[in-house]
Amino acid sequence: MSPRGTEEPAGVNGSASYVYGIVPADVEVEPGTEGVGDPAGQVRLVPFGEIGALVSKVGTDRPLGRPRDLQAHQRLLDQAAAEVPVLPFRFGAVLTDTEAVVEELLKPYHDEFAGTLRELEGRTQYVVNARYDERAILGEVLRENDEAAALRERIAGTSEHATRNERIRLGEIIERAVAAKREADTAAVVEDLRGLCEELAVRDPAHERDAAHVAALVRQDRRAEFERAVDELASRWSGRAEVRLLGPMAPYDFVRTS
Amino acid sequence: MTVQHGTPAGGAASGTGLADVIDTILDKGLVIDAFVRVSLVGIEVLTIDARVVVASVDTYLRFAEAAGRLDLSSTEQGLPEVVQGMTQAKAVDQGEPALEAGGDEADDLQMDEPEPARARRREDR
Repeated sequence: MSPRGTEEPAGVNGSASYVYGIVPADVEVEPGTEGVGDPAGQVRLVPFGEIGALVSKVGTDRPLGRPRDLQAHQRLLDQAAAEVPVLPFRFGAVLTDTEAVVEELLKPYHDEFAGTLRELEGRTQYVVNARYDERAILGEVLRENDEAAALRERIAGTSEHATRNERIRLGEIIERAVAAKREADTAAVVEDLRGLCEELAVRDPAHERDAAHVAALVRQDRRAEFERAVDELASRWSGRAEVRLLGPMAPYDFVRTS
Repeated sequence: MTVQHGTPAGGAASGTGLADVIDTILDKGLVIDAFVRVSLVGIEVLTIDARVVVASVDTYLRFAEAAGRLDLSSTEQGLPEVVQGMTQAKAVDQGEPALEAGGDEADDLQMDEPEPARARRREDR
């Protein structure tokens, strides 16, 4: 991501307001909650009308994005999302000061943000990520594809240099076969879960062995049911793919600009 | 209420790695640029590209290498044996990750346990 905007930071002493997301105005931030930056800024709520922005002061002279910063951003939003509706911003949103947060963000978009928060009330996001076991998936491909099996025999005991073309061909077959399995398995996950959530969003694979990567917006009162379904999926794929359930988290995949 | 990060489904042990965080907060969420242009401050954001990955010759060679090392007879066993075999293979193979190289180094950077919620509604308190 490249630096945004060309203006000089207006904040005195080179500080500015980092914005995490939008929450209802009646949210209270525990004193001592640390945000991004080094030293870490204290997170506070800048309210306007029915809504408020979670912000912290950040120095403008240092790059952001250490693991600690990313963690602080996500943790704050996910923990808030466990209790209240949250519009999470993508990492790295910084305005000159809190006045700009009110005048340029909260005031002009108050009704839109308030409306979206009402829609998100009582809903939370999960991410289901399934990743093939390397041995299991390679075994599947080699059993199902005669050409792959033959190429494997041909490269056995040879150097990479001697059978480079065969290796590239084999790898290509495997890559395509895994992609086809991913497509089918993602469809199966979507089929399994669609009835249990309000919305589903298929993510790009995060890894070359991903079997499925799907975000789901789930009603709070259906969380247990949803988690059970993911557990069942995990048992069904045991040994073939590892299924991880991330969340509940802020609805990153389901907020969009209109 | 505590937030369960990276709850392993089906009992396998795993946590939320940095790669998961990157996939989410660098890639998803509202983009403030769409709303605010006037006083947006440009701060350099360091990022790691944890994305896959257009398949490349390197990917193919790694897949082929992994396929070449595979003991096919062991993948046709019943499930418990396979699981056991995987665990053992992991222990043996630790020094030379086969398919891991391209994707998820960041997975190794496990995050701390989540803290209690820090922002909540006033009425709840």
